Amino acid sequence: MIRKPTLTTTLIIIVGFLTVCPVVMLLFGSFSEGFGTFGTFTTAKYVEAYTDPALFEILWNTVIFTFGSAVLATGLALFLAYMNTRTNIPFKGLFGVISIVPMMIPHILFAVSWVLLLNPSNGILNRLLMDVLQLKAAPFNVYSLSGMILVEGLLDLPIAYLIIAPAMSAFDIALEESSKVCGASTLRTLMRVTLPVLRPAILASAILVVVRSLASFAVPSVVGMPGRIYVLATHIYRSISTGFSADYGKAAALGMSALAASITLIYLYRYLTAESGKFVTISSRGFKPTLIDLKGRRYPLFAVVGLISFVLIVLPVVVLFYTSLVPYSMVPSAKAFSMMSFRHWADVLKDPISVLSLKNSLTLGVFGATLGVALAILIAYVIVKVRTPAAGALESLSFLSFSFPGIVIGVGFMWFFVRTPLYSTMWALLIGYIATYLPYGIRPLSSAFIQIHSHLEESSRVCGASPFQTLRRIVIPLLIPGIVSGWILMATMFLRELTLSVVLSRPGTEVLAVQILRFAEDGLWGKLSALGIIMIGISSTLVLGVTYLGKRLSKVAIVDR
Amino acid sequence: MEIKIKGLTRNYYSDGRLIKALDRVDLTIPANQIFTLLGPSGCGKTTLLRCIVGLESPDEGEIIIGDEIVWSREKNIFVPPENRGLGMVFQTYAIWPHMNVFENVAYPLTTRKLAKDEVRAKVTKALKFVQLEGFETRPATKLSGGQQQRVALARALVAEPKVILFDEPLSNLDAKLREETRKELRHFLTELQITAVYVTHDRIEALALSDQVAIMRSGRIVEIGDPKQVYFNSGNQFVADFIGRANLIKGRITSVNGQYAVIDTEIGPIRGLNSQKLECDTAAALCVRPEFISLADKPVGEGDNIFRGRMETLVFIGEAYEGDIRVGDQLFTTTVSPTVQIVEGNEVSISFNPDHCFLLPVAEDS
Repeated sequence: MIRKPTLTTTLIIIVGFLTVCPVVMLLFGSFSEGFGTFGTFTTAKYVEAYTDPALFEILWNTVIFTFGSAVLATGLALFLAYMNTRTNIPFKGLFGVISIVPMMIPHILFAVSWVLLLNPSNGILNRLLMDVLQLKAAPFNVYSLSGMILVEGLLDLPIAYLIIAPAMSAFDIALEESSKVCGASTLRTLMRVTLPVLRPAILASAILVVVRSLASFAVPSVVGMPGRIYVLATHIYRSISTGFSADYGKAAALGMSALAASITLIYLYRYLTAESGKFVTISSRGFKPTLIDLKGRRYPLFAVVGLISFVLIVLPVVVLFYTSLVPYSMVPSAKAFSMMSFRHWADVLKDPISVLSLKNSLTLGVFGATLGVALAILIAYVIVKVRTPAAGALESLSFLSFSFPGIVIGVGFMWFFVRTPLYSTMWALLIGYIATYLPYGIRPLSSAFIQIHSHLEESSRVCGASPFQTLRRIVIPLLIPGIVSGWILMATMFLRELTLSVVLSRPGTEVLAVQILRFAEDGLWGKLSALGIIMIGISSTLVLGVTYLGKRLSKVAIVDR
Repeated sequence: MEIKIKGLTRNYYSDGRLIKALDRVDLTIPANQIFTLLGPSGCGKTTLLRCIVGLESPDEGEIIIGDEIVWSREKNIFVPPENRGLGMVFQTYAIWPHMNVFENVAYPLTTRKLAKDEVRAKVTKALKFVQLEGFETRPATKLSGGQQQRVALARALVAEPKVILFDEPLSNLDAKLREETRKELRHFLTELQITAVYVTHDRIEALALSDQVAIMRSGRIVEIGDPKQVYFNSGNQFVADFIGRANLIKGRITSVNGQYAVIDTEIGPIRGLNSQKLECDTAAALCVRPEFISLADKPVGEGDNIFRGRMETLVFIGEAYEGDIRVGDQLFTTTVSPTVQIVEGNEVSISFNPDHCFLLPVAEDS
C-alpha cells in the first residue's frame, strides 16, 4: 500500500533516464561543435548537415526505400493472412512458422545471404543464370534501391503479418456475408468490404514497416553502401565512421530529423491501432467463418506460400552454410563440393576478435536479457496493476524508445557516455540495449499480468500470505510464460544487435553483428558465414533451452481466467 | 465472532464525480450467523465486504472484528488482510491455475508454516467436508464450476477462520447448479457454526441462506432483519419492492386499531397490518405479495379487502399463471393456479387477508 508510489517513482526515474537521456544528449550534441565543446551553443552543425547538396538524394532514397519496403511487406502479409484465415489452403501450420522463425535469423545475415546470391560480380544465383541462359552480364544487381527494398521488405514481412493476421481473423464475417447476400462476388467483397474495413490494420502495418526500415542499418549498410546508395541511417554512420574526423555533432543534427520522423510515425501508429479497435468489429461468437474453397488454385497458391517461406527461412541459412564451407565464392558444382572444408570455421575460432565478440554478445544476451526482463516485470506490474496517472506516464515513457532508430539513439548515448567512465565498456552497450529494446520485454509481460485476475492475488492475501509471499508463490509462477517470451525476445535481439552497436562498440567491446559487418566490408564471406552460422546456432539454442526451462517451471502455460 | 462497523465511509472519484460507495455505514454483524448484504449493483455491498476483509481501505470510520480493531482512521490502524485471519470465497473463485486441488487448499496452511502431516490432515478434512475427497491431485484447471466453488470454500475454511466472507459466490454457476449449491452452502454453514458474511444481488439467495439480511442502497443500509421480517413486514418501500414481487397501493391512513390500520386508497379502504406503528392521517402504502391474493370468478360476500376487477393479462410461466388484474386504475399482479378456469377479460373477485398485507410509510408527496 505504501510501497507502490515509490516503486512507480523509482521506475519513472530509471526509464526516464534510459529514454530521455539519449534524446536530450542528442539535442545538446546537435548544437555543439564537438565532444570537447559540449554545452557551447552553435547551429553550425545543422547548417553543415542540411546544406549538403547530397542530402536531397539521400532523403529521396530514404523515402523510396522505406515506402517500398512497407508496400512489399504489407502486400505480402495481406496475401499470407488472407490465405491463412480465409481459404482452405493446405498445411496451415506453415503460417505460424513464417511469423516466428525468421525472427531468429539476424537481419545482417539475411542481408548478407542476399548479397551472396544476387551480387553482380559473383552472386550465386546470378552466376547460375548466366551459365544456364548463356548471358554476358549478371541479370540482377542487389546493390540497388530495388535490391534493398526486396531484402528489407522480406525482413519486415513477419512483423507486418503479426499485425494484419489477428485483425483479419477478428474481422466479423457477417460483414462479408451480408455483402455476398447483396449479390457481390468474392472479389468485389474483398475490394469493397474486407480491405476497407481492415484499412486501419493495413495502415498500421505499413507505418510500422516504414519506421523499422527508417531505423534499419543492416540492409542499407550491407546492400546499399557497396552500390553507393545512401539512406539517412548510413549517411549518419558515414559521418561518424570515416577515418579520423568522426563528426558526432553533424551525426546528431542529422539524427534529430530521423528521430522526429520516427516519433511522429509511431504516434500515428498508436493512434491508428487505438482507432482500429472501434473500426474492426470483433465478433465474440465462437463459430469459424466459412472458408473460401480455392479448388484448383489450392496447390499453385500453396506453392507461392511455400516459396515465400523457403526464401525467408531456408535459403539464408543454406546459402550461409554453403559459403562457410567453400574456399571462395563459387556456383554449387561437383568441384565446389570436393573443395569443401571447415577451414573458415577454424579461422574464425582462432581469430581473437571474433572469439571476443562471441563472448561479449553472449554475455550481453544472457545478462542483459535477465536484467531487462527484471526491469520489464516491475514496469509491466505498475502499468497493468497500479494504474495511477503516474503509471500511465510510465507506460508512455517506456514505449517511447519503440520509436528510436538505433543508430540515432546510439549517437545520443555516445554524447552521454564520453562524459562518463562507462565509455567503451560493456556497460555502455548494456544500458543502450536495454533502453532501446525495453518495450519488447514489457509487451509479453504486460499481457501476462493482464491475464492474472486481481482476485488470484487478493485471495492469497486473505489466505494469510504477505505481499512478498503472494508475489513469489502466485504472481511469479503465473508470469513464467510471459517472462520466458520476454527473455527470449530480448536475448535474441541483444545477441544480434547491430545498429546501436556500430556506434557504441569500441576495441575490446566488439560484438557479433559488428564483427560480421567488418567481415562484409572486407569481403571475407567465408569467415562471415561461419561466424553467422555459429550466431544462429547460439540464438536457436538459447530459444529452445529457455522454452524448455519455462515449460518445466510452470505446469500450466495459460491462466484460465 | 462479532463484526462491528462504525461510521464507515468510502468515496470514489469517477470522471470527476464523487461517488459515495459507503456513506457512514453503522452495522453489527452478530456472531455465528449467516449475514447477507443484499442490494442492486453499485449499492456498495462489495465495497463493504472488501473493507472488512482488508482489500480496500475506507476513508472514515472503524472496523472491529471480535475485539480487535482492524481498521480505524482515528487511531491510525490498518491490519493487512493476511493478518486478519479471515476466509473468503471470491466471485471468480480465484483458484490458482498453477496448483492442483491439494496445493490450493493447503495454501493458507503452508503460508503459516504448519507441519507437513498437520497440513495433510487438515486439507483432507476440509476436502471431505466439501465432498471432494480423491480430488487432491486434480489440476485446478480441470475442475467444473461447481467443483471450483467447493475448492474455494475448502480453502477458505481450512485454516479455521474467525469469519468467512462470500462475494457473490454463486453468480458464475448456471441456474440449476446454483440452486443445489445454495442448499449445500446453507447446510455447510449451519453445521460449522461460523460467522459468515455473504454478498449477493439475488433476493432468493439472500432469503434462502441468511439468518439476517441487510438491504443496501446507494452506500447506506436501509433495513436489517431476518428474511421473514423483511419479506412480510418491511418498513421501507424500496426494500418491500426489492425483496420480492409486490403490489404497492398508495393512500392515507384513516384509522388505527390495535395491530391493524385502515388505509384509504383510490379503490377504497384496505385493512392491513400496521407493523410500523404508523399514525392516523399519514401517507402510506399498502404492500400485498402476489401469492396472497385469492381469486374467484363469482362475486364473494362482504368483508375486508374484497375487490371486483377484470383479468387484463394472463401469462403462463410454468408452475403457474401470472395474472394482472385491473381494479379501477390499480393493477394487481397475482399468481394464478394453472387449474383455475379463468381467461383474459373475465370479471373476477380478488381478496386478501389483512394478516397477509402490511403498511409502509411513504414520503408525503411521492
